[in-house]
Amino acid sequence: MLPLSIKDDEYKPAKFNLLLKLSGWIRSILADKTSRNLFFFLCLNLSFAFVELTFGIWSNSLGLISDSFHMFFDCTALLAGLAASVISRWRPNDSFSYGYVRAEVLGGFVNGLFLIFTAFFIFSEGVERALEPPDVHHERLLPVSVAGLLVNLVGIFVFHHGGHGHSHGEQGHGHSHSLFNGTTTHKGQDHHGHDGHAHHGHDGHAHHGHEGHGHEGHAHHDGHSHDGHSHAGHGDEHRLGSNKQILQGVLLHIMADTLGSVGVIISALLMQNYGLMIADPICSMLIAILIGVSVVPLLRDSIGILMQRTPPPLDDALPECYQRVQQLQGVYNVHDPHFWTLCTDVYIGTLKLLVAPDADTRWIQSQTHNIFTQVGVRQLYVQIDISAM
Amino acid sequence: MDEKYSSNVLSGSKLGMVEVPNSRLTRYIVLLVVSKILKALGIFESYDILKVVHIVQFIFILKLGSAVVLLFFQKPFSSGKVISKRQWIKLLKHAVFSCIISLLGFFGLTLCGPLRALLLFEHSDVVVIALLCVLFTSSGGGPSKTRGAALFIIAVICLLLFDNDDLMAKMAEHPEGHHDSALTHFLYTGIAFLGVADHKGGVVLLVVSLCLKVGFHTASRKLSVELGGSKRLFALDNLVSAVVLLPWVIVLSVTTESKVESWSSLILPFVMIILSVVILQFYVEAICSAKMEVQRCARYGAIALFSSSLLLANFWTHPLTDQLRSMSKPLQESSTEHVLSGGVLVSAIFFIMSSSILSSPSKKGHKGTLVGYSPEGTPLYNFMGDALQHTSQSLPRFIKDSLKQILEEYDSRQIFYFLCLNLAFTFVELFYGVWTNSLGLISDGFHMLFDCSALVLGLFAALMTRWKATRIFSYGYGRVEILSGFINGLFLMVIAFFVFMESVTRLVDPPNINTDMLTPVSVGGLLVNLVGICAFSHAHSHGGKSCSTHDHGHSHHGHSHGEHGHGGHGHAHGGHAHGGHGHGGHGHGGHGHSHSSGGMNANMRGVYLHVLADTLGSVGVIISTILIRQFGWLIADPICSLFIATLIFLSVIPLLKDACEVLLLRTPPENEKDLNNALEKIEKIEGVLSYRDPHFWRHSASVVAGTIHLQVMSDVVEQRIIQQVTAILKDAGVNNLSVQLEKEAYFQHMSGLSTGFQDVLALTQQMESMKYLNDGTCIM
Repeated sequence: MLPLSIKDDEYKPAKFNLLLKLSGWIRSILADKTSRNLFFFLCLNLSFAFVELTFGIWSNSLGLISDSFHMFFDCTALLAGLAASVISRWRPNDSFSYGYVRAEVLGGFVNGLFLIFTAFFIFSEGVERALEPPDVHHERLLPVSVAGLLVNLVGIFVFHHGGHGHSHGEQGHGHSHSLFNGTTTHKGQDHHGHDGHAHHGHDGHAHHGHEGHGHEGHAHHDGHSHDGHSHAGHGDEHRLGSNKQILQGVLLHIMADTLGSVGVIISALLMQNYGLMIADPICSMLIAILIGVSVVPLLRDSIGILMQRTPPPLDDALPECYQRVQQLQGVYNVHDPHFWTLCTDVYIGTLKLLVAPDADTRWIQSQTHNIFTQVGVRQLYVQIDISAM
Repeated sequence: MDEKYSSNVLSGSKLGMVEVPNSRLTRYIVLLVVSKILKALGIFESYDILKVVHIVQFIFILKLGSAVVLLFFQKPFSSGKVISKRQWIKLLKHAVFSCIISLLGFFGLTLCGPLRALLLFEHSDVVVIALLCVLFTSSGGGPSKTRGAALFIIAVICLLLFDNDDLMAKMAEHPEGHHDSALTHFLYTGIAFLGVADHKGGVVLLVVSLCLKVGFHTASRKLSVELGGSKRLFALDNLVSAVVLLPWVIVLSVTTESKVESWSSLILPFVMIILSVVILQFYVEAICSAKMEVQRCARYGAIALFSSSLLLANFWTHPLTDQLRSMSKPLQESSTEHVLSGGVLVSAIFFIMSSSILSSPSKKGHKGTLVGYSPEGTPLYNFMGDALQHTSQSLPRFIKDSLKQILEEYDSRQIFYFLCLNLAFTFVELFYGVWTNSLGLISDGFHMLFDCSALVLGLFAALMTRWKATRIFSYGYGRVEILSGFINGLFLMVIAFFVFMESVTRLVDPPNINTDMLTPVSVGGLLVNLVGICAFSHAHSHGGKSCSTHDHGHSHHGHSHGEHGHGGHGHAHGGHAHGGHGHGGHGHGGHGHSHSSGGMNANMRGVYLHVLADTLGSVGVIISTILIRQFGWLIADPICSLFIATLIFLSVIPLLKDACEVLLLRTPPENEKDLNNALEKIEKIEGVLSYRDPHFWRHSASVVAGTIHLQVMSDVVEQRIIQQVTAILKDAGVNNLSVQLEKEAYFQHMSGLSTGFQDVLALTQQMESMKYLNDGTCIM
């Protein structure tokens, strides 16, 4: 009797909608630890940039203005990370049947790309300056870069704590323990996963070690804890995802900024005290190379995921699994195996089996599921074709 | 990376050699690199010392010092078995040879300077043996090794012929001058007898002594086994050579007066040289070759050594380092330093490349993945895809093949031709710029070169999409296209952002622009880019032709096209620009098409947009130049660039949106309606109860993958349903489908499984204990 559906459209005034949306966004940002951290750090960064900009306009110094624009550009990376972490929690709908979880990989990828661009620009600038060192006004550089360093240190501290809280997080910690303790047939994958993570950890570590210029002791500690985090996160609750890519991307970005400020401070000191004009380009070139090198693993991983690569932790385990499936009673052949990563630690696989006409397909199916669940593939699609013979 | 994965499979199933992953080796690699850098430092230092100390004395001190240290560490007399008299004689011979080789090596060092000596003398045995294998045996190990050998020889020749060392002129009168001893005099006359200059003689000498060294190392292996370990041999060898050299040194120090003012100031450098060149080097090499393979060790070592020596050579004579060194030791005259010439640089790069090629392990027997065991129990290997792709090829054939591949397909051909055009223009610009010495042209040329990188990326992506699917990338490389489009789009975004910022800064404070040279260059660039736009917009509409029309109507696109046409029309040249306009319209239509096919040719779209942005840039420059010149509006330039940045930004957004959607695994929008219909049809198939988790996503332009779970009645024929479903979804465009049929009992079982992982474990353990019993009743 009541035409409810028709009136729906007219009921929403535009600005009300916007306000609602805004509050919804903010609520969803504040709901999660990662995005909350990101958001606060973004606010801090933005306010710093604005202060710098206004101060620059007020004192009419071009250097400050351009630096503030640079800060704005940095903020876009944070913004990308924030957007990705919010989007990745959207519900799946008809057109995005897997949900938006991939956004986190994409966010990490975009951040990595931005970093590469930045590194490239810095490098080319450094080369240019190495050829003919310009006269740098270093009296104003120091305070600004020290302030930037402070802001970035806060960022590192926040994300360090974020990572910490994450690894101690409420979901799935006990779960992961049970996973590691309970599995004995699981060695190969566990082993490999360890290696992959150790690699990342190493990178972060090297990074930190270098960064120890700025503030002693802390950075070292930080690198370790992050390493530990990703380690523990390996066995984490899978459905919720651990946002590893975003965190890694953002952390790298902040690292790069911090390194940049440290480099500027060092070169400013060198220039002031010793008059070494060459220090500036060399510092910036070194930093650019460091950034580039540290971004490579992130980019490689995320490109691998985006291209539906077989997940590296499963590389070892899969042939063994095929072998076991083939040994099942009545299975003739395994073909068209596709395994890929949806987002961090969620693996999806499809498989086609050719079986004998008289085989028990249900048994084969559940056995196949068992075999692949053990190596960590939670979503498996097994199509069973019955051979014509 | 690929090599790692291809062999990891073997190691996973406990077959073949287990390769240790990189991460665990990192500390050894770092150690190796550090030791190599120290060694380079030590060699540079010893070159300086050799200017004042006689070579024989130098070697004697070196041997004696290292012998003392090694005796302390290694304790060759108190540990190990007793050395017989015959072994002592062998040791003596060994020591004499090692003395001769180090004499030759250090003499070469005095002749050609530390950098060249390092480049020539410090190759690891593996590299030289591989080189000799290629040169003198027929089984060299494939084209890649041949390439490495060729590079090596070219590097030596570079050092011989193209190295214009300043010192050569000074050295030319040297043979008549003062000679320290009979030995050096003898060597000098030998070299003069050969008819080459000193410095080149040094190069030849070093090459010869390198060969001798390798032969000597190979020969001494047997002795080291006899004596119980290479470390013990090394310690004893150092001691004996010091003893051998002792009489000579005594005679020398009695007969000639020393040039050294104070030996005490040389103690520190000597200690450093002994530690870095001999001791640390030896131990680190021993550790690294034990922990890693020798080849990898050689590769990293060579790269570290050569690059650090290049750096050192650059900074050694720098005033800064002089300043630093003056603290520790007296200043020396730097007039006779060997300079860093272009020839040395080239040959150093060649040496690095050749040693990394020559020391790369030959992959024979490493390939193939274990797929299972045959009924007879013999292992079966799979030599597919990725294993075969990484065989080394000869270079000309590689170029020929890739050219053929590029020209095969329309897209890559377009990009390739345009890339060639762009590069040609860039080089003309660069040459002209260098010739007329105009900085603006040169910087513009570099900018063009930078733009070419986008084209190269597109070309590479277009090639890669056609690679076959491998075990690792099981869906094939089709996604590269989308990724490349995405990266190009992002790139444009960043550029637009920077241009925007720059122009905002300029709006506040418009600078004075020199407009003289801008016009011809930008008109040239515009012409080149117009050609590109014609080509690519054609490709565009071509690509979209086969797809169904589905107007999405992107107004900003139309706008940008119109803008381009307008700009060309207004200023560059009438007739052609009109054609451009027509093409613009055409491209617009084509754009609607290609958009309708979702991720279709995202790569080409990215490249196209890039070219478009460049064109807009040139048009903007031309307009603003004219405005500035005619009316003196300095503000026109920032406004133009602001406008252009916005246009680029807006035109990139749809591309990015599409690429993002594909990367986020969206259901392909153009298939959505068909898919819904198909799902309805599936539900109506006889025997199907329901479906769940339908996932459909576009992998690349040609592959749409899908998975679906179907719940069916327990008495249907499964194969028939699978076929029907596959056929229905294929009609809807899904060409890579897997269907999982679930009967009721199975569904209950699986839902039980997913509640707890523990249960799965318990079940599997139970299963394994039963050793796959023949009947499946234990589960069901």
